[in-house]
Amino acid sequence: MIRVTDIQKHFGALHVLRGITFEVKKGEAIVIIGPSGSGKSTLLRCINLLVEPDSGQVFIDGVQVNRHGIRHEWVREQVGMVFQSFNLFTHLTAIDNVTLGLIRVKGMSRDKAVEKARVLLARVGLAAKANAYPAELSGGQQQRVAIARALAMDPKAMLFDEPTSALDPEYIREVLDVMTALAREGMTMIVVTHEMGFASNAASRILFMDAGKIVEEGTAEEIFQHPKEERTRAFVSKILR
Amino acid sequence: MDTATAFQLREPPKLVAGITLIHLVEMVVAGLLMAFVILPAIFDFSLLSAQFWGIYTRFYVTGLFGTFFYVALALPLSVVLGFLMGWARVSRLRIFSWPASLYVNVFRGLPPLILVIFASLFGTSLIPQAILDRFFAGFRRGDIAVGIAAIAIGMHSSAYQAEIFRAGFQSVPKGQVEAAQALGLRSWQRMRHVILPQTFRLSLPPLGNEVAVLIKDTSILAAISGIELVAKSRDLLGILPASGFPIVWIFAVWTVVALTYFVITYTVTRGLRLLERRFHTPGLEGISL
Amino acid sequence: MSDLRVYLRNHWRYFDAALALVVIIGTLAYIYDLLVGSRGLDVAYIARNYTLYIHAVFTNVYATTIAYLVGMAIGFSVGWLRTARTVSLARFAASMRTEKRERREDPSQREGARRLLVVVSLLWYGTKYVVRRIGDGFVEIIRGTPLYVQILFASSFFIVFLPQYATEGLLIGIIALAINTGGYQAEIFRAGLQTVHSGQIEAARAIGFSRLSAMRYVVLPQALRLIIPPLTNEYIGLFKASTFLFVLGVPTEISYLAQHEGFAGDVFEIFAIVTAIFLAITVTLSFVVQALERRFRIPGLGIEQVKVARGVRLARVGG
Repeated sequence: MIRVTDIQKHFGALHVLRGITFEVKKGEAIVIIGPSGSGKSTLLRCINLLVEPDSGQVFIDGVQVNRHGIRHEWVREQVGMVFQSFNLFTHLTAIDNVTLGLIRVKGMSRDKAVEKARVLLARVGLAAKANAYPAELSGGQQQRVAIARALAMDPKAMLFDEPTSALDPEYIREVLDVMTALAREGMTMIVVTHEMGFASNAASRILFMDAGKIVEEGTAEEIFQHPKEERTRAFVSKILR
Repeated sequence: MDTATAFQLREPPKLVAGITLIHLVEMVVAGLLMAFVILPAIFDFSLLSAQFWGIYTRFYVTGLFGTFFYVALALPLSVVLGFLMGWARVSRLRIFSWPASLYVNVFRGLPPLILVIFASLFGTSLIPQAILDRFFAGFRRGDIAVGIAAIAIGMHSSAYQAEIFRAGFQSVPKGQVEAAQALGLRSWQRMRHVILPQTFRLSLPPLGNEVAVLIKDTSILAAISGIELVAKSRDLLGILPASGFPIVWIFAVWTVVALTYFVITYTVTRGLRLLERRFHTPGLEGISL
Repeated sequence: MSDLRVYLRNHWRYFDAALALVVIIGTLAYIYDLLVGSRGLDVAYIARNYTLYIHAVFTNVYATTIAYLVGMAIGFSVGWLRTARTVSLARFAASMRTEKRERREDPSQREGARRLLVVVSLLWYGTKYVVRRIGDGFVEIIRGTPLYVQILFASSFFIVFLPQYATEGLLIGIIALAINTGGYQAEIFRAGLQTVHSGQIEAARAIGFSRLSAMRYVVLPQALRLIIPPLTNEYIGLFKASTFLFVLGVPTEISYLAQHEGFAGDVFEIFAIVTAIFLAITVTLSFVVQALERRFRIPGLGIEQVKVARGVRLARVGG
């Protein structure tokens, strides 16, 4: 469903991605773990083309998307993204945040968009907060609205960039619950996170990245209990302490 | 009785945008004191002298209208120019950002008085003769010069407004722009639905202040042959001594002028604060420059 | 053809910058042509007269500095006064009510003492309140009226009460400028003092500082760092405002313009000189401000509050 081959990316002198190759099949939930600076966020952004890889190919549903002639907007309709800092539009209410893309990108009528938005907000448990502004919501609530906003576009896959890293501990649970339910329903997901619990429960596969390369790939049991590489072992032991 | 209950106070009733009953009382008392006690005591006149107003009213009204005219001329221009320049300043394209920076630095670095005098002297030379003949044939050269000077004041203000708008643009969190991209919104859609709404809300408070400054700046036009409040008042004072009226009336005139400006700027700034409050979105407080 | 496009895309930065320069130089050339055109630049005029302009600039600097310092004294005192803790009328009324209730509940013989206390506190808070409000009023008036009007006001004051000095343009101008900058500086000082004020004095007292020592060792050092940027900006603004001495008959740069009124001849040269002078001075001063800011910055110290005062566009004339 999503395939990347030999992705390279430099930021100035910094070689952030040094040849990343992997594949995500439809319905799979992949978790990417690794130390900060390993290029995880950059990799995610290469997939929905917020960042253009220097070389390599990105395939979505068999179509290579990182070449001329492909509309970036089309790519982003196929793949939705949830950010670490939520990035809700502060001047719009929760429901307006969700309907903006529906009305302006998908061209839906306002009524249909609102209806769909309500359903989605209910799905993430925030039906009551439809008319609240982001500043009036807790971090966990904001992130759930962000998830609803991304889901509204009916993407084929979802990218999560450290969705719970900016949350107070008491709110992490509610967001992870939504993500776990999403994975169970069969959404193709790539999640960058430090939440090992979620990785164990919901991930079909885990990728460990370090210094721009994928060091090891495997199931949760393989990576956490029997890591093959030394670096993986070192990282996992630090996290699972 | 513990301290807490001892100091329990009822929140004084707020009338309008931070002006409580106390404020109003204060202002009324101060105003009355000024009009009837202080000023007569010092300056030996009463602002309510009918004789005084008999002469002054004509000048005052003409001048006031003149001021409003110049403000109406300069203000919209300054906002539009300021917005465009502010936008250009944050552009990645140097073809926009460099000229805009130059504009802003030049018009902020020069005092408005100098701009006005320059404009009055060769403002008309800057306009191609053809346009002058077509649109402004009926006007005297001097009047056009004053009009251009008023525009110059607008341009001076626009340089400051450009900075305000620039700060407004830069205060929109980059992450939201990214999120808009991730949703598939196109560049102009991002501008229209995400960036601009927030820019305006953020820029509003300092902008209100800038408007007040613009209104005050129109007084500079009195230095050239503009027809506005200060100039007209000065005219009156020109003929006063000859007519044999008490020289102390000079103070009356300037007090009235000062009060007028004060009331105007006070109203504008408080009024805008009211407007801000009505359109307030939680989470979008004004920027500080 | 696509080679060209690729080349353009890769070297866009230089292309972009070049275009920008073209626009700028083009506009300047156009203006130059309009104003000077075939006449040719009158360099002789510049060579002949530049001393006059230098002299005029010195007058400006002189006036600005004096007015600034006087204004600083005014501004500091008024600003300090305005940070006086006053009790709002409502709270005062509330505490009066409490007092009454207390008296009813617990009648004691200390009537006289109680009454005295009430009167004294009334006087004390009352005076503080009035003083504070006068300070507020002063600042509001200065900020709410144009500098030009203030100058004319000062001038008429002299005409009426001190006619012998009425022609001393420089003196009148400096006084008007001083009062004007005093009002704005009062706002700066107030904001600076208040930003540091509340919690830190309490903390200092808790450690054992006296009120005065707390002010000296805790509040002032921080407040000083906060107010330096806006104060330097104020100086720049005041310098720009000193051009108003022109209307008082003091020879400044632009009086030469007025002399040339009818003769549109060397106007561009004068324009160029004056612009160059002002831009040079304001840009230099701006750099000084930035350098000072960087040097005295304390990370995390709320520059925000004081910036509000600065953002009040301390450009004089209007504001």
